[in-house]
Amino acid sequence: MSARIYVVDDDASFRTAIERRLKLAGYQVATYPSAQQLLDCLPDENEPGCILLDVQIPGMSGPDLQGRLHELGSVLPIVFLTGYTDTPTTVRAVKAGAEDFLTKPIGSEQLLGVIERALARHATERCERQKLAEMRALVADLTARERQVFGLVVRGKLNKQTAHDLGTTERTIKAHRHQVMEKLKVRSLAELVTVAERLGLLD
Amino acid sequence: MIRTIPLKALIVGLIAMLASACLAQEMRPHSILVLDQSDGGPFYHQLFSGLREVIGKHSDVHVTVYNESLDMSRFGGKAYEDTLKRYIKEKYQGKQIGAIVSVGAGTTGLVLNWRDELWTGIPIVFAMLDELDVARLKPPPDVTGVIVRLPLADSVKVAQTVVPGLDTIVLVGDDWDRLVVFRNWKDELSTVAAGLQVIEMVGQKMSDIRKRVAELPPRSAIIYSSIFSDGEGAFYPPFVALGMIAEAANRPIVVAAETFLAPGGIGGIVLTPSLIGANAATITLRILDGERPEQIPPVHGGVKPIFNWPQLQRWNVSETTLPEGSEIRFREPTFVERYRWQSLAIAAALLVQAGLIMFLLHERHMRHDAEVESQKRMTELAHVNRQATTSELSSSIAHELNQPLGSILTNAETAELMLASDNPDLGEIREILADIKRDDQRAGEVIRRLRGFLKRTPFEIRDIDLNEIMSETFKFLSVQASARNVALDLQIAPGALRVRGDAIQLQQVVLNLVVNSMDAMTAVPYGRRVIGRIKLNDGSSAAISISDSGPGIPPDKLGKVFDPFFTTKDQGMGIGLSIARTIILAHKGQIWAENLNNGGAAFHFTLPLTA
Repeated sequence: MSARIYVVDDDASFRTAIERRLKLAGYQVATYPSAQQLLDCLPDENEPGCILLDVQIPGMSGPDLQGRLHELGSVLPIVFLTGYTDTPTTVRAVKAGAEDFLTKPIGSEQLLGVIERALARHATERCERQKLAEMRALVADLTARERQVFGLVVRGKLNKQTAHDLGTTERTIKAHRHQVMEKLKVRSLAELVTVAERLGLLD
Repeated sequence: MIRTIPLKALIVGLIAMLASACLAQEMRPHSILVLDQSDGGPFYHQLFSGLREVIGKHSDVHVTVYNESLDMSRFGGKAYEDTLKRYIKEKYQGKQIGAIVSVGAGTTGLVLNWRDELWTGIPIVFAMLDELDVARLKPPPDVTGVIVRLPLADSVKVAQTVVPGLDTIVLVGDDWDRLVVFRNWKDELSTVAAGLQVIEMVGQKMSDIRKRVAELPPRSAIIYSSIFSDGEGAFYPPFVALGMIAEAANRPIVVAAETFLAPGGIGGIVLTPSLIGANAATITLRILDGERPEQIPPVHGGVKPIFNWPQLQRWNVSETTLPEGSEIRFREPTFVERYRWQSLAIAAALLVQAGLIMFLLHERHMRHDAEVESQKRMTELAHVNRQATTSELSSSIAHELNQPLGSILTNAETAELMLASDNPDLGEIREILADIKRDDQRAGEVIRRLRGFLKRTPFEIRDIDLNEIMSETFKFLSVQASARNVALDLQIAPGALRVRGDAIQLQQVVLNLVVNSMDAMTAVPYGRRVIGRIKLNDGSSAAISISDSGPGIPPDKLGKVFDPFFTTKDQGMGIGLSIARTIILAHKGQIWAENLNNGGAAFHFTLPLTA
């Protein structure tokens, strides 16, 4: 399934040109003359996609739209494409997580490269998020006692210490630990620690 | 004896010497009798005045003057003469007369005849005799006086002067025999008039004369002697008769007496009675004072060339042709001569006025030059200001240009790729090429507009729509505004608002005001906003305002913001607003600044709408 590129630019001529080029490169393309129209019809976050955003657009500006999307939890990569680059705007956009900041006129090779990279990063990110979601689901399946044991074990506590902390026997702890590893589908303590870290449970 | 003889001789000699001394130094009675042939006319009056004037100035002793007018032009004959003699003899019996003054040839003739009987030994001074008269009368040696030379030849010469190419002279006068002064002309006539036609109107009726002088041939001149009667029984003084003739005459009249000028004579070598009188008086006084008349030779004098200015004008005679030393009478004073002070005042007023006009014209010229110069300066300064602003606006320009360039590049690459494919969609390629062409024109338009904005154009007045000016300028500024995180908002008027002005300069005003507003909000953390409004003010003007959400203008600086080089910015030159004001004033508008109630500043300007 090909990725979808969302183009927000008030310049009709440029929208047409870029749409042609992107379609030729095999992408699906959606164009919007203003930020508001994109907000009215939000892109599907679960599909591979990328937003090409002009800085100067009437009404809400490019950077403003970026902030708004961020607030809405969008993770779609945003590539800024502008007629004129000024340092403050660039810095603001990149700080806010822009994928790249390009100046027109830009060769399509370069643009497509940037889009590809953005899509790849987005795909990875998406994959990553999916894994995390799965892990979160697995963790959610743990009983209360198992979650307690999981929390202590990944912080490096020995079974004996854990048993002592929880006021039970080392044997019971071993059983819980085994159960946790089964449920989370890991085979070593190291893997277990990685899961906890990625889910942010170690903070 | 021998001694007595010399004594006798000495005594005789002494007596003789004494007698001769007494004779030489004999003081005569200081009274004179003046006899003239007058009829009471002005000629003799003037002669008598001239005489009296000299006599009156005699310093030592008063001289009594008796005067008898014998009226010899109207009366004559032996009986009349006898009556006169008797009358005078009886009248002056017992009067001590020191000298007799006889005026005119007729009188002098009588006086000489009467002398032995009436005035034995009394000196006689004649006046106004000409040489022919003297030759005829043969006065004894103790009779002296004033001889006037008054030949007809002089009058003919004058006639030739006033009538170039003269071929006819017309002699007008009484019968020669009746004339007392000009009688001798008759004898002269044949010699003097050689080569000239002569028309003699002598002793004719006044009515005939008047008829005939009205129809004289051209190149003729009248020479007037004297007329005392109309030939029908009426008598005139000769100057009155001359007036009647002059009224009718179609040719100039040459005269020979000063008193004939006023009635219409053109002039001539004229008898001057006052001069004759004065000369006669001088001689008389010398005699009264003791000089012997035999020792005083007759003097010549009493004529002068005198002319009548209006007559000279009438007959178109140039003054330069007149005899040397000619006197011009009755010259009409020129305007300047007549109204000397008024003329001076008028001339002065004209001079002052002319000076004033020159000054005003000069000032007007200078002011015009200054206006042109000032407009040129403003245009130049505006140009510099636009250049400065443009560098600030480079982002907008780049954006405006890059937008179409971006499209062109992308389209070109797309087309290239499509052509490289096995089965290119030519329809779409055609579309792409059309888009490229359009975007290229767009880029060209940006460049053209920018060049227009930066060109050093002279002030050019055209009909322009303020809405358009504002929209275009705000569009131009949008990139800059976005980069500075400023929201630009433009509220234009519903209909076109047309003004007369220079589009580029008015754009510059808007641009300067907006840039100024954006600059003012640098320190404002959020909510930076510039609002432009255009509206109809009162039907005759448009009002435009640019307001911002900045900190406003310190109240004490409100009046100064438009001053040149007034700035609150670190890097400002302080010319943006001053140029805005200069431009608005040049468009006959007004511009001012105020602070808004909710913070921020607003700049307003008004421009008169086209009728």
